[in-house]
Amino acid sequence: MLNKFTYLIAFFAFNASYGWAQLCNNSLVGHVVDQHSGDAIAYAAVAVEGTNKGTITEEDGSFVLMQLCNSDKVLHVSCVGYKRAIINLDSFNGGNLHIQLVKAVSTFDEIVVNANYLSEAQQATKKVNSEDISQGANQNLAGLLEAVSGISSLKSGGGVSKPVVHGLYGNRLPILNNGIAQSGQQWGNDHSPEIDPLVANTISVLNGVDALEYQGRSLGSMVLVEPARISALEQLNGQSNIFFESNGRGAGLNLQLQQSAPGLAWKVNGTLKKRGDQHAANYFLTNTGVEEANIAAQLEKKINEQWYIDAYLSSFNTQIGILRGSHIGNITDLEEALKRDVPFYTKENFSYAIDAPRQTVQHHLLKLHAKHLINSRRWVHLTYATQFNNRKEFDVRKGDRSDIPAMSLTQFSHYLKAGYTSLLRNNWRWKAGLQFTFIDNTNQPETGILPLIPDYNSYEIGLYSSFSKKMDYWDFDFGLRYDRQIQNVAAISTTVPREILRYNNLFSSYKLALQAKNYLSEGVYWLTGVNLGTRNPEVNELYSNGLHQGVGGIEEGDSTLKPETGIKVNALINGQWWHKVQLETDLYYQYIDNYIFLNPQDEIRLTIRGAFPVFKYEQTMAHIYGADLNLSYLFSSQLKVKGQYSYLRGHNISDNEPLIYMPSNQLRFSFTYELERMAGLENVTIEGNYQYVFRQNHLQADQDYVLPPDGYGLIGVRMSADKRFKHHRLQAYVKFDNLLNKAYRDYMNRMRYFADDLGRNAVIGLNIYF
Amino acid sequence: MKKVFHILMFMVAIIGLSSCDKDDPVIPNEGELITTLIYTLTPHNGGESVVLSFKDMGMGQPEVVTGTLKANTSYSGAIRLLNEIENPAIDISEEVKEEGDEHQFFYLSTIEGLNVNYTDVDEDGLPIGLATQVVTMAAGSGELTIILRHEPAKGAPGVSDGDITNAGGETDIEVTFEVDVE
Repeated sequence: MLNKFTYLIAFFAFNASYGWAQLCNNSLVGHVVDQHSGDAIAYAAVAVEGTNKGTITEEDGSFVLMQLCNSDKVLHVSCVGYKRAIINLDSFNGGNLHIQLVKAVSTFDEIVVNANYLSEAQQATKKVNSEDISQGANQNLAGLLEAVSGISSLKSGGGVSKPVVHGLYGNRLPILNNGIAQSGQQWGNDHSPEIDPLVANTISVLNGVDALEYQGRSLGSMVLVEPARISALEQLNGQSNIFFESNGRGAGLNLQLQQSAPGLAWKVNGTLKKRGDQHAANYFLTNTGVEEANIAAQLEKKINEQWYIDAYLSSFNTQIGILRGSHIGNITDLEEALKRDVPFYTKENFSYAIDAPRQTVQHHLLKLHAKHLINSRRWVHLTYATQFNNRKEFDVRKGDRSDIPAMSLTQFSHYLKAGYTSLLRNNWRWKAGLQFTFIDNTNQPETGILPLIPDYNSYEIGLYSSFSKKMDYWDFDFGLRYDRQIQNVAAISTTVPREILRYNNLFSSYKLALQAKNYLSEGVYWLTGVNLGTRNPEVNELYSNGLHQGVGGIEEGDSTLKPETGIKVNALINGQWWHKVQLETDLYYQYIDNYIFLNPQDEIRLTIRGAFPVFKYEQTMAHIYGADLNLSYLFSSQLKVKGQYSYLRGHNISDNEPLIYMPSNQLRFSFTYELERMAGLENVTIEGNYQYVFRQNHLQADQDYVLPPDGYGLIGVRMSADKRFKHHRLQAYVKFDNLLNKAYRDYMNRMRYFADDLGRNAVIGLNIYF
Repeated sequence: MKKVFHILMFMVAIIGLSSCDKDDPVIPNEGELITTLIYTLTPHNGGESVVLSFKDMGMGQPEVVTGTLKANTSYSGAIRLLNEIENPAIDISEEVKEEGDEHQFFYLSTIEGLNVNYTDVDEDGLPIGLATQVVTMAAGSGELTIILRHEPAKGAPGVSDGDITNAGGETDIEVTFEVDVE
């Protein structure tokens, strides 16, 4: 395995010997990209044959070789997961050397077995890459992540879903947009993360020590959404993505343009999506359309050898329709809705109209980042980010009030970070940092309704430090972080006359993570980790008070809640053998003390709108454990068969009853047939897949209004092919989800009370890389 | 390194200066809220009116006033809806009347022989239920439940006769009175 330091040391050793190498003053500038996706490859080793000269590519794939002699004619470029490229410089006549690497075993998923320092996203084993994102352009963030084992999503119909990792979501699973904790209304189960996945290059799940350096209230895991660095190409380049889908008669367009002009690199990424009413197997899901318009811009500039700056600006704007038949008045309405086969208000005809109930959300992010190289072994990152989140939810209301939001919240946040990385002797790395987050959350009084959650300001300051040690066959990571949070809450009383209630909270939270990784042989490693940490109660858990329309219940917070404490242990074995078999397993156990959950009360509260069940935020002792298993087998270089199984159990230990809204166990099979070349096309792929979701049997009948839905199996098919032209590449794909148009309901979709899940969907798409 | 430190201190100072207590929230004007339902029953042949009322200020303890009807008597019934959070109280029944086509009251009774009939109509000629005629038969007792549905299927079978089965819509009001007929 090539070691980054060997190269760095070789490089500096060579510099030192400059004195007698006067004749060798050629330099070479280039960059390394993935041949298939065009993405930059970071940390690839570039070596000059027959010498000890060499370097490692930057995060954007670029590299510089200096003091080359005329006799230095051959370059070796290598990176884990790619075939080694040997480049003869004889025919190269200056400029920027463009090097493309081909995936090593193209039909295997990328498996990270490098002992070098990789970015957090590269290290993550649970991730979605840019090709999957491009071919899943019709899906939202959570939908894309669902393909990864151990990840599911909590949905409120087709337009709203949030990722669930090992049973944790919402307040317990922060989503990092470009490294910044998404600042919005994550507490709501019916609030989707406000991120356009098409802006991202990778979506990955961070655990343990990797997640420690991010400020976000988690119990260990986080979802990181990262855009690609700007490619080093000097000419204008980019990609365009267009798709159509049959279910909802939707279409989307994404355009990405980028250029690395001397001195300044830029990238612009825009997405437009529109979809009308979706269709269950047997009827339209009236008022489930979605509209989305997003734009993001990136700038990168190298000021000098020591300072690099970059800026990122993104704007996400959406309007989402909520199934009309799911809007209920009280518990009697819910009981009536449960008895129906077809939801109330179901229309015979398709429509693009989005009426109440609906949500409109805007989310804007600005991030400024500077990297300062003190020397080649020590550097500093400085980051400032600000976010604005504006969420309005419209209910069906009397008068003309359906155009007045029933909930209207704005959230401003500022974030500051200073991070320090030092490469110490003996392959030790030390990272440390300081972060500050300010959040201002305000209800807009236009609603004419008492807000469900109060206004607040939150100030949070955090410190982290982590150590990593790389050895030949072992990696050790250890880290800790501490956060202190001040919550300044101003609520409105539910008693008459209305008055202002103030609460001031001071919370501390800490995290501790340990991890060991051992390489048994080429391509095989095991890893084990322990995470200990606390999570402070969120404002909704402390002070919610009122009727939560979507669930037909009264929710009450508890201002005396204590922080949750969680400890998670996991063990993972990943490996491939004989270039035939690939195995990925992940076993985990998490114990959570003071686990905060909404507990149904015996009380049925009588109001003028009828009777409502009361739910209170309470704490208990709970544990969640499970296993994710993935096994792939290559029958030939063309045919791959893959099986996935995820098992999860969540249990409330104190009350000896199951935890609600825990994902069902799942089984997935797929076969992929891939031809590198056929009839002038490349990478011709046909995939068939079958997914079986088991019934959630770990639940008591009195824990829900209805029994959990039955298990179901869905069949899907996907076909794609590339066509390469001189200056661009086309990729076309067709896929069918729920091919047999099966009528089913999913336990993790809150619309299951009212309607069936989505019926057949055919998607056709075209990606152009130029 | 010194430069980095200065930039950092500057950024902390900017944010530090903007920190202050959260401003008082603006108390929303809860114009649409219904706190009170008053059902006044006036006997056709003269005599004292019976008033049933349900007042819920959102504090979990609604005030319910019930009454006693006379046997074999015909009453005209009138519903009044109020928002008493606001001062002075707002009459919501006017709004329901104006949007009669989007609303309908349903009267469900477990009292033997008690009948409620609609005496008002919306612009489509379908009942609203703000005005009713109530006829009692023999003496007895039971529950009278009054339900207001928003956006029901007013044309669905049985709905215009007061049968809620096919009505759908969202419940804006659902109150139950214990009523004696003597």
